[in-house]
Amino acid sequence: MVRKRSQSLWLDMKRIPAMEENAYLTALIAGSFYMVASARLLRLSMRTRELPELMLSVYFAATGLYYLIAYSPNYPGFEPLSPFANIAINWIFVLGVFPFLLFIRRVFRPESAWALALVWICGLCLVAGGIDATRKGGLEEVIENPWFIVEWFGYAAPAVWIGCEAALSYRGASKRAEIGLCEPGVVNRYLILAWFGCFQTLACLAGLYWAYDNGDNRAISVFADALLGGCEIASVGTLWLAFFPPAIYRKWILERSAGIGPAPEG
Amino acid sequence: MVAQLFDIAAERLERCTALDRLEVRGTLRIALKRAGLDPNNLTVEQLRAVFEQLMPVELENRGVVDAVEACGTAMDEIACVARESGSTSALTPDDIFKRLGGG
Repeated sequence: MVRKRSQSLWLDMKRIPAMEENAYLTALIAGSFYMVASARLLRLSMRTRELPELMLSVYFAATGLYYLIAYSPNYPGFEPLSPFANIAINWIFVLGVFPFLLFIRRVFRPESAWALALVWICGLCLVAGGIDATRKGGLEEVIENPWFIVEWFGYAAPAVWIGCEAALSYRGASKRAEIGLCEPGVVNRYLILAWFGCFQTLACLAGLYWAYDNGDNRAISVFADALLGGCEIASVGTLWLAFFPPAIYRKWILERSAGIGPAPEG
Repeated sequence: MVAQLFDIAAERLERCTALDRLEVRGTLRIALKRAGLDPNNLTVEQLRAVFEQLMPVELENRGVVDAVEACGTAMDEIACVARESGSTSALTPDDIFKRLGGG
């Protein structure tokens, strides 16, 4: 999940009908996809009665809702969000990161004390940012606001964390696949999630850059906007490959891994 | 039980070879690293794959004769101990990621 400046707030502040106006298309695509992915994981969790898929489902649902609602003022014919709606969507966003943090810890570091500490730190940062936004009637996404930085850390750290854990797991899984202990499809899913973490981290950095550029440099804003949109679309693309892999992709993974392990599932 | 599996494996392997405790544990750690496995989060199935495919070579490199037989004997004993203790395999990230893909 990437938190970025509310497009409505941005446009309202800057009064620019520039390329950001088209950013709602990216938000619509990303939001819709996250909702579909969430529904799929929710169905899976109801079948398996396991927590990891449920955590991921809630996280995707919160992300999807955030994109669909926070950017709605940019949809043709839609009105700006009320302060209450701004606060509510910020809390949906903030609370949505919690299950993601718990997912990472549960899957990769269930016994680790430092992982638990990181979950707490990120959680506190998110809540602190949420409280500040509530107090002010919406999050001030500018670099001068220390609470923005605090909240930013709360959602940027999990993006870095999932990327690192998935990359490490990919390395181990590749070795396990060689002796038949890991299916090629699973190995590939680790790699995809590592890329997802990478794109999300990049997008978070672009969001920070954007907050920094609260001044006059339009070129930087346009660059940050394009980078954010590109990273989000790339993230959605990676998740699509992870959760809805087309037959041709599965076949490609199977062919690439032929001879080093069992066939991928699905 | 999961954390103890490494210790049990090392102990049984030590009995089946002429290597001392330190050598056995070091060799086992190297084999597990080559297999991409965490000594603190092992399952019997994972250990079996390592003992069948990697460990014999590692032991032969350290001068153990009949390494395949030693590994087979040790693995049978490990599986027996694991069964008696009623241990179930811990859920690994691989299991979760397999599920997430619908597998």
